Amino acid sequence: MNNDRKPVVISYAASKVGKLDQTRFEHEILADVVIDAVGTAGLDKTDIGSAVFTAPTPATRQRAFATFMASRLGLHCQGQIAEVSNLGITGGLAFEQACADVAGGRARVALALGIEYSSAVDAATMMEQGIRAAGDVNFQTPFGLTPIAWYALDADRYLYETGTTRRDLAAIAVKNRQHAMLNPLAQFQTPLTVADVLEQPTIVEPLGRYDVPARSDGAICLVVTSEVVARGLGKPFLRVLGRGFSHDGRHQVGSSPHDITDFPAARQATATALEDAAVSLEQVDVAELYAPCTITEALVVEAIGLAEKGRGALAAGAGETAIGGRIPVCTSGGCLSRGHPPGLTALYGIAELFDQLLHRAGKRQVAGAGLGLHLCELGNYNAALAHVMDAGN
Amino acid sequence: MEIIKVPKRLSIVPEYSAFSDTFRQGLAAGKFMTTTCSSCGNMTFPPKQHCSDCWSAEMEWTELSGNGILYARTTIHAAATQFHGEVPFSVGIVDLEEGVRLVTGLLDDPVRINNDAAIRLVILSYEDGLLFAARPA
Ligand SMILES: [Zn+2]
Repeated sequence: MNNDRKPVVISYAASKVGKLDQTRFEHEILADVVIDAVGTAGLDKTDIGSAVFTAPTPATRQRAFATFMASRLGLHCQGQIAEVSNLGITGGLAFEQACADVAGGRARVALALGIEYSSAVDAATMMEQGIRAAGDVNFQTPFGLTPIAWYALDADRYLYETGTTRRDLAAIAVKNRQHAMLNPLAQFQTPLTVADVLEQPTIVEPLGRYDVPARSDGAICLVVTSEVVARGLGKPFLRVLGRGFSHDGRHQVGSSPHDITDFPAARQATATALEDAAVSLEQVDVAELYAPCTITEALVVEAIGLAEKGRGALAAGAGETAIGGRIPVCTSGGCLSRGHPPGLTALYGIAELFDQLLHRAGKRQVAGAGLGLHLCELGNYNAALAHVMDAGN
Repeated sequence: MEIIKVPKRLSIVPEYSAFSDTFRQGLAAGKFMTTTCSSCGNMTFPPKQHCSDCWSAEMEWTELSGNGILYARTTIHAAATQFHGEVPFSVGIVDLEEGVRLVTGLLDDPVRINNDAAIRLVILSYEDGLLFAARPA
């Protein structure tokens, strides 16, 4: 890569995750966010060569949203205008595509952005689409597995094999709520106890309402430019040191028996990113994960080596993965409490590392955070995308 | 394999290609079929026109015993619109004795099937199509 074109995040702007203002159109809300993000960077709209959008959800009325939005913002782009999508790594792919345009000299500034505005559609209707993504549409979908039901299968086997309890898993929800209470962008900020988690109704056994994500809207724009441009602007920036991707050739379940609690794609993507960055896992100070359910965080921290096998949930209960602990995980509050607009979650995760590594995370700041890991992944749907990052100025 | 009549309509009717229709015809005849690669011996479910391991198109249809164990299970309380009439319902991952893994519904009321317990596949004949399920062996 041309060193002058190393891509960095120079700024971001985002709406608080939750329920967006129903009296406004999606493009109106996102325009505010884009103008805020670009202005914060000290850049102008004429600097923007690419805008990579997360593909809008089926709830979005305006189709061809990316090119429509480019017209609303009056963007004249020579890099690309695109919508990208692949379930949980959607935001990560938008980010990478923006970085690639900067690195390749196709754009001086590239935006990675999106809006999810689906809280007006009820969960059962959303799942009509979701069940067709979560498994083979002809040989698995007719059994009615919802997206979350697949995580419940992971949880069932995990509890059975490790002796971990629902109470142990609940500690992950509680830990993430404590983080979210310190995050102005978080959807859920009221105190939460293990007892609160345990007394919720079952959604998919053994997971209750607070073990699984709520419905969330969000809007976010990351501004990516080159390190040279960032230095010229005299602002600190977030730098990508390493990247890793993996898909292990299965979708939910393979044709033959395998350990569904293992998440090999997450492990491989993380190992590749660390190697690419020439750092070790022990050097990572803060990790932001795409973990929609309590069980997912338990399995992912084990898969990537932040906790020993069988200790993924116990590590949260012991405070090891809390702010101030051995390795803080999901300092934003994560999917469960920061909130989970799925296509945007990875962009919110990278934004959290921006705040942590630039030491502007306020009360949730991880002291001395120098190296961050971002991992977005699809569990057993498969595919994982990891980035190792630090700050520069 | 046992065929159980279910006097209602499917929530979602499975669709079959010209190739995979052999599986449906097997169910109708009381057989649970899948494909094995003639080139590398890989047996997979769902049945495939090409081997996902070696990409050979030389696939043979094989009948399976329907005997296996339950690997993992869940009971779904919040379902997609199409399944509202069914909740709560149970599904699981099953490993058949031939070394094939699949996902299926569980007939475990009143006897709950636990992980690693023996199961037997049965064929469910709905008013508008066929499906399969696991029940205690
Ligand atoms: Zn083969």
